[in-house]
Parts: sequence; C-alpha cells; structure tokens
Amino acid sequence: MQSLVEESAATEQQTEFNSVISAKRVNVFYGDTQALTNVDLEVPENQITSLIGPSGCGKSTFLRCLNRMNDTVDGCRVEGEILLDGVDIYGPGVDEVLLRARVGMVFQKPNPFPKSIYDNVAYGPRIHGLAANKDELDEMVLTSLEKAGLINEVQNRLHSTGTSLSGGQQQRLCIARALAVQPEIILMDEPCSALDPIATAKVEELIEELKENYSIIIVTHSMQQAARISQKTAFFHLGEVVEVGDTEKIFTSPSDERTQGYITGRFG
Amino acid sequence: MTDTPNDPKASGWYGEKYSANLKKRHKSERLFRRLGLSAILIALGLLGILLFSIVGKGYTAFIQTYITLDITFSESVIDKDGTRDPVKMRSASYGNLVRDALRKEFPEVTQRRDLRALFGLVSKDATQQLRKMIAADPSLIGKTIPVRMLASDDVDMFEKGYISRDVVQDDRRVKDNELEWLDALQADGAISTHFNTRFFTGGDSREPEMAGIWGAMVGSFYTLIVTFLISFPIGVMSAIYLEEFAPKNKLTDIIEVNINNLAAVPSIVFGLLGLAIFLNVAHLPRSAPLVGGMTLALMTLPTIIIASRAAIRAVPDSIRQAALGLGASPQQAAFHHILPLAMPGILTGTIIGLSQALGETAPLLMIGMVAFIADIPGGVFDPATVMPVQIFLWADSPERAFVEKTSGAIMVLLGFLIFMNAIAVVLRKKFERRW
Amino acid sequence: MSFFPLVIVLLLMCTAGYWYGSKKALSGVRNNSTSKFITSRPHQFGIYVFIWGMIPPVLLGLIWVVMKLTAGNLDQGLVQQIENVVFPVAIMLGAGAGLYFSIGRISPDLRVRKTIETLVYGVLIIASTISILTTVGIVLSLMFETVQFFGKVPLSEFFFGLTWSPQTALRADQVGSSGAFGSIPLFLGTMLITFIAMCVAVPLGLMSAIYMTEYASDRFRAVVKPLLEILAGIPTVVYGFFAALTVGVFFRDAGDAVGIAVSSESALAAGVVMGMMIIPFVSSLSDDIIMAVPQSLRDGSYGLGATKSETVRKVILPAALPGIVGAVLLAVSRAIGETMIVVMAAGFAANLTANPLEAVTTVTVQIVGLLVGDQEFDSAKTLAAFALALVLFVVTLTLNVIALLVVRKYREKYD
Repeated sequence: MQSLVEESAATEQQTEFNSVISAKRVNVFYGDTQALTNVDLEVPENQITSLIGPSGCGKSTFLRCLNRMNDTVDGCRVEGEILLDGVDIYGPGVDEVLLRARVGMVFQKPNPFPKSIYDNVAYGPRIHGLAANKDELDEMVLTSLEKAGLINEVQNRLHSTGTSLSGGQQQRLCIARALAVQPEIILMDEPCSALDPIATAKVEELIEELKENYSIIIVTHSMQQAARISQKTAFFHLGEVVEVGDTEKIFTSPSDERTQGYITGRFG
Repeated sequence: MTDTPNDPKASGWYGEKYSANLKKRHKSERLFRRLGLSAILIALGLLGILLFSIVGKGYTAFIQTYITLDITFSESVIDKDGTRDPVKMRSASYGNLVRDALRKEFPEVTQRRDLRALFGLVSKDATQQLRKMIAADPSLIGKTIPVRMLASDDVDMFEKGYISRDVVQDDRRVKDNELEWLDALQADGAISTHFNTRFFTGGDSREPEMAGIWGAMVGSFYTLIVTFLISFPIGVMSAIYLEEFAPKNKLTDIIEVNINNLAAVPSIVFGLLGLAIFLNVAHLPRSAPLVGGMTLALMTLPTIIIASRAAIRAVPDSIRQAALGLGASPQQAAFHHILPLAMPGILTGTIIGLSQALGETAPLLMIGMVAFIADIPGGVFDPATVMPVQIFLWADSPERAFVEKTSGAIMVLLGFLIFMNAIAVVLRKKFERRW
Repeated sequence: MSFFPLVIVLLLMCTAGYWYGSKKALSGVRNNSTSKFITSRPHQFGIYVFIWGMIPPVLLGLIWVVMKLTAGNLDQGLVQQIENVVFPVAIMLGAGAGLYFSIGRISPDLRVRKTIETLVYGVLIIASTISILTTVGIVLSLMFETVQFFGKVPLSEFFFGLTWSPQTALRADQVGSSGAFGSIPLFLGTMLITFIAMCVAVPLGLMSAIYMTEYASDRFRAVVKPLLEILAGIPTVVYGFFAALTVGVFFRDAGDAVGIAVSSESALAAGVVMGMMIIPFVSSLSDDIIMAVPQSLRDGSYGLGATKSETVRKVILPAALPGIVGAVLLAVSRAIGETMIVVMAAGFAANLTANPLEAVTTVTVQIVGLLVGDQEFDSAKTLAAFALALVLFVVTLTLNVIALLVVRKYREKYD
C-alpha cells in the first residue's frame, strides 16, 4: 500500500493519508455513451471526501461504481480498476453482495422500507446473519440508532413504520440502517438534497461525527456543504476528474480554471 | 499489485462476519431465480401442450376421405316416365343409384344387415351430390361414370388411423366385414383423400363428414359487424366526452367507476341481460346475429371506452392548446385534432375488444344462438350461430369424427384471432408516437 | 312504402337541403357587403339544415313505434294502412317543413355553430350514459326475475338448501313439480374450482411476474411477455375443449394408473385449465404492481448487500402486497364468472363434495343448463337462473370494487 501513497503524493500536492479505495483509469459506459473517462482517485481513510461538479458530470455514476450498484443498471459497463484493500472490486471472485456490506450507501431521497423502524435497521444484520440471537440483534439496532443520533427520537416507537418519520429523521434512519451492517466505507449520494436546512444541519453534524470510524465519500451539489464538512474534494466535469486535493486548497486556490469557474459560480 | 490476493474470499478480505452464511444465501438466490424461470416455462409449456393437442387432433379435419364408385344413372330410377320433368327428377330416390353401385361392387353381400352396413360406407351426401349432377346435366341419364363421393365418418376415421384394426370387433366402430370391403375398395384404388373444401364452404350438419364452418363464419361476421357498428361510435363518443368535456362531478365519477366494473362483469350476465331485454321485452328474433351483436356490443363497450380514453389522454395538451389558441372551439379541437391523433390507439383497442367478442360463447348461449342451423345466414335477422358456439356444439357431439372437426374449427378461429391481433400490433407499431 | 326506400328518399332530401343551405349561406355573405364576417362556416349551415330535416321524421318514427308497442291489439288492417300510406306521407311532410323552416332562417347572424355544438354535446352525454344504462339494465332485469323466483321458492331454501335438482321434484310438497333449489352445492362447487384455479394461477403468475421484472433481460421480456399474453387471448371455449378432451382424460387415465378413481369431469381438470387461463391475468397485473414499487427501495436493499431474492422477498413483495392481493381478488372474480370451461369440463350434477377428483357443478354451469334449450318463462326453473346470476353479479361486483379500491390506494402510496 505504501507505494500507492507515494505515487499519488507525487502527482498531487496534498496531505499524506492512507488510501482505502483507489480508482485507476476507470471508464464507465451506458450502452454506447461514455459516462466516465479515465478517472483516477484515491480515497483517504477516516476522512470525508466530497465529489462536486455540475449535474450530469458523472459524480454519482462514479460513486455507484464503488459498491457496484451500477451492476443493477442494464447496459452499464465498467472498465479499469477500483481497488479496495488492494483487491479489484470488479475482479473475479468478488461477491458484490459482500462488497456492499463493506461499502454501505445512503441515497439522495430517504428510502426507508415500508416496515417498522426496528425492522429497517435490523434488515442488514438479518440478511448477513450478523446477529446470533435476538438480544444481539436488539443491541445492534440500538447501537446503530444511537450512532445515527436518532435513538432519543424513536426510542419509544421502534415498532411504528419508518415512513412515519420526518424527512430528516428518515435520512438518519437510512444512515443507521447502513451502519448496522458495520461497513468500513459509506457512500452518500446527495444525502441532504431532499431535506430542509435544519434537517440538513443535523445530518451534516452526524456525518462529521461518523468520520471518526468510517471513511465517507459524499456526492453533493452544494459547494458550501463540501467546504463545511469534507477534508478532501474532487471536482468532476464532463465525466473526468479535473482536480483533486485538500478541500481548503480547492476552494481557495484551485489550479484548474474550470474548477475556478465552477466554484465562483460561472457555470454549473 | 503483487500483494493482490487471488481469492478475496479465502484471504479474509470480507472479514469472517459476512462470509458465514454466504453459501446458503447464494444457493437460495439460485433456487429463487430458477423458480421464477420454471414458472414461466411451465406456463409456456401449458400453452404449448394446448396448441399441440389442438393441432394434433385437428389437422386431419382439412382432408376428407372419398370413395369413387361407378354410378349408373339408370333411367328407371331417376325418370321412370321418361318425361325429363325437373320437378319429378328432383324427387327421385338417388340413394338407390349408390346402393346399386355398391351391390355391383360386392355381389356376395346379400344379408339385409350386411347390406345396410355396406350402404353405410358412403355418406348420405352422395344422394344430394347425384341429384345435383343430374339437375345440372340431364344427359347423364343412362350413362355409367365413376363418381367421387364422400365416405361416411366412420370410414374417414378409419382411413385417418383413428380406428385401429387391432381392437376387438365389439369395441370397434368399423366391423370386420366392413374392413374387408374397405380393403377391397382400397385395392381397387377407389378410396382417396382430398382437401376438405366443404369444411370451409358448408353449413353445419348432423353428419360429421358433411359439416362445415362457413355458416358459423358468416354468422360471426354479421354478429361482429353489429357489435362494431354499435360499440365503436358509442365507445368513442363516451371516451371523448369523459376525457375532453365532462365536468368533474358525481355523475362523471359514477360513470367512471361503472365502466371499470362493467369491464369485469362475467360475460354470461350480459347474456342474461340480452335475454331479458332484447328477447323478452323488445321481442327481437331469437338466435339472430342482430341480438348477438347487440349483446356483445354492450360487453365490448367498456374495453373500447377504456382503450380510447387512454389513447386520447396520451395526446399532449399542447396540441389542444394550439388548436384553442387559433380560435377553434373545444369541439373543433377535439374532433379535428385530438381524435385523429388518438385514432390508432382507439382502433387498436377496438380490434382487441372485437377479437374478445369473436371468441365469446357464453352470452350467445343465453340468447339462443346455440340452435342447430344448417343454412348459411343471409342477414342480421336470420337465425345463425357463430364460430365459438359451433365449436361448443361440435365438442358436445358424441361422434368421434366431430373431435377433429372441432379442433379444425378451433384452428380456424385461432387463425382469425391471430390475424386480428396482428393487425392491432401492426397498427400500434406503425402509428405509435412518443410525445 | 317500405322502410329502406323511405330512408333513402329522406337522406336524399336532407342532402339536397345541406347543399342548398351551404350555398345560401355563402351567397348571403357575398351579397351583403356590411357583414363580411360570419360566425359559422358555410358547411355548418348545411349541417344545420340537414339536422332540421331529420328531426321531424325521427320524432314521428319514435312516436309511431312507441304507440305500436303500447297500444296492444290494434286492428291489423288499420296498422297496415297507416304504415303504408299515412306514415310515409307524414314523414315527408315533416321533413319538408323542417327543411323549409331552417333554410328560411339562414342569415349571416345565425349562430348555427353554437346550436350544432350543443346538439353534439347532448349526443356525447347520451352515449356516455349507455354504460350506466347497461348496469341499470342488468340490475333491473336480474332483480325483476329474482323477485318472482323468491315468490315461488323461499329465500331460506335457496341460500341454505343442500340439494339442487331443478329438473325433478324430490318431495311432494315442492313447488309445482319443479324440484329442489338449494344452492349450497353450486356455491361450494364454484369455490372448489376457483380455489384449484388460484392454486395454479397465483404461484405461476406471480413468480413469472417476479422473474420478468427483476431478473429477465429486456430481450427475454420482449419475447416471452407476448407469448404469455397469448394464453389470455385464447377463447374460453377452446380451453373448455382442452379441459374436457385432453386434461380431463389425462387425469382420469393417470388416476386409473395409480388406482384412484378420478371422474372424467373432475373439478381438478376444470380448475387446472381455468388456472392456466388466468396465469397471464395474474402475471400482468402483478407485473404492473411490482414495477410500481419505487426503484429507491430496491437500491436501498441492494446498497445494504442484499441479494436479488432477498430484496424481492423481504422488501418488494411486502411493499407490493396490497396490490397483489387486489390482483388476486380480480382473478378470483374472473374465475367465479368463467362459464365455458366449466360448462364443458365440469359436470351438471350437483354433488356436495370437497373432493377435487369428483365432478362438481358451478353457478355458471347451472345458469347455462337452465336457460339453454326450450324455456317456459315464469317457471321456477328459468327464474332460478336469474337468481343465480344476480348472486354471481353481486359477488363479482363486490370483489371488483374491493380490488379496485385496494389497488388504487396502493398506487396512490407510491405516486
């Protein structure tokens, strides 16, 4: 792993870090159209990486490559390497089901299952067989809800349906649901875009707490959000990564003029 | 990348906790997938068996066995007085000609019972056939010429291999002596099979070898015409009203719910409606395509309305607004612009509705279209039967030969249905518009 | 004058009126320099005249038909006289008067478009009430006969009686000599066959729908879906023939082979074939309903590392359950009302049994049995058919209303 870090440090001037995911020359096609072109990206451990860029630039597509969610889309083809712990996740022998257990995901619109709050969170542990018995499962559900900062709000109604919660609560429920599978990496696809500012603040606060134990990659259309919470930022444009670096540097002195244009609001 | 493990599962890349029941999960995934696929295969298999059994039973309906005999048109039978009076000649006993020919062929048969069996080899149709020959050409009288005549249904079944020689005589429709005669005729080359034109040109008959479906086809045609003439205009007008003009109120709601429910009312209930209203109150003729068509029209109406509404709704609002913006009245917009654009969809729905009506049997049983009718109907007031009812009637007949006729009629009916649906598909493909 | 020539003459008269009306409207504008603009187009004036020409004959015709129907026994000679002489003359005069009146009214200021559109609007409304009239007609005609039936046979016997033999009297005290009308065996038979049909159609239809929506490629779907739909397009009489001659015989022979007595008109054969017919119905309804489950729920489940089957069983099916229940209810109502398969493959004898290997009869079979052939109206036998049909109508209607409500509610949830 060490060689990787040195390699990337040589190309980009940024803080030293341990990389959990490294994407190398990733190309993605939907049928005949190319959505991503030669994307290289190193994702640091226990930090928040944000992917920004105008809509349709491929940032969500890239995110969905990282846990092979694109497999469920007909006609989608991925080329190149995406290494997790040094294993190419598109290589033979990789089970996408288990990959997704290690790399969790939170979606744009809160999508709790039409089940009780408890069952929503218990879903992951149940399918993966993580809990040996009912007590362990209860424990896992409660811990996950606690980590997601939802425990106080739902403690007394664990068995009412997940859809009865408010939007922000639903999104935190979805985060708790992802945490219950005990992933190492959490992918978030514009998790706050459907939420009001107060709920957004709560979720952002939660994301910042989570980075202690998890590596987080977040796609966002809000540059302020990227600046507020992330340590590292990648700017996508027309299916390419234009610039990657420490968030501070990207927002204060971008080296590429397209980045400059985007963050100053000239396009996007 | 030298440190890349070859097998991520073995190297503990996933961690112990997830891999524990992985095998089981993948096994149940495969099982579930196979279950789904086999459900589809079973359904398709059932369809295959159905079609196979129909075709297997029915393809022989399109060929028929004939017996060629030297018929002597003796004057003594046809025209005793020698007056050549057509009326008298028509009433002569032409059956005797056939009997004489058979007697000549098999002089050894003398027993009364055996003779009856012998005469039974040739269909009753022969009498008609000979009468027509004489009527068309009286100069045949006195001559002896070979004539090809329909064989009886039992002979036909035997020739087609449905009756086996190996069965004990008592369980066999064709007895031993008949077998001998048939073998003799066969040896003479007197037995032949030909395409069964009568099946497509004749009306119903009690004798399977004489039965045809032309009468039922004509009946179906008249019935469908009536159905179309009633249900299409009313259906399209209802759809236009409901989609374009109807105010949102209780009445429209009721109409809406009502149409959806009518679409699911069992077809036999429409038959009872037809019986009670059209026959018992309005005293329209029983068994007539008019009544059948009206009954089926009421049944088809919801299908046409629902399809037409969908087609009208698919026309974008911008067209309507463009027309209104040029000063067209709402009715002009609807009839000049929306309706033509929605027409392919409406026609597709109508054809599908009509093909349902073409295959419908139960309501027609209620209004008496189930009677035995040998004549070809000449109009919507004549008693008639339709193809599915003909199939029902033949399926109910005990004669073995009607099984193949039934299957043959089913093949013809399915042919029509496939044709109608193909038109609907072509219409949809050709005029389908994506807005 | 007979009917068709009269109609042709009328149409000719009105067509002439159309032509003359259009011309007059045009020339009216040309000669009148002060009003260049007319509110209606010339052909609309033509239609206006045409309609005025048609109204009196149609009204007269209607009045005559109603009079003939209501006035009971009129003198035949008089009727002939009127039909041959008075009626055609009256119609011609009426049409002529209508044409003359409307042509006289033509002027550029006459707003005929409005008049015509009001008329068209009326016709549209009438057309769309036909479907309501159909329902009313069904209810009234069934009710009327059913009330008469219950005048002859007590309600309790019909709904709770255990014997059904309308053709022959079992006991001396029964109405006329018409027999017993206990409908329980029919309902049980119907339920038995419906149950068998559902056992075939629901698993096969549902699993097909799941495979089509979740697993199959677009190409597979494009080929297989229309093939399955063929099952729905085959006429029921064909299924009946198949059930009676192929499936029924097969089950009987299979039963013989293993030493079980299976009736050749067994409920099993009819039920299985009926289920086969309903497969595409269940599968296309479930297909729609499963498709309506939002993609985000699938994503959520896959994102947590669930396999496809886990997602289907634990997320999609529970979410789609109300809709699927609705679809099954619709399928049940279909099966209950199905006639030809059971008429041809199930028996006419009303056995009170739950054994699928024996022959049972159904409500629809009995309706057909009672009404096909010569009927004397007003006999309890014939009326019984209407009572059965009313029960059938009410039951299927209830099932449909419930199913449609359930499905609608389900769709609202995900729209």
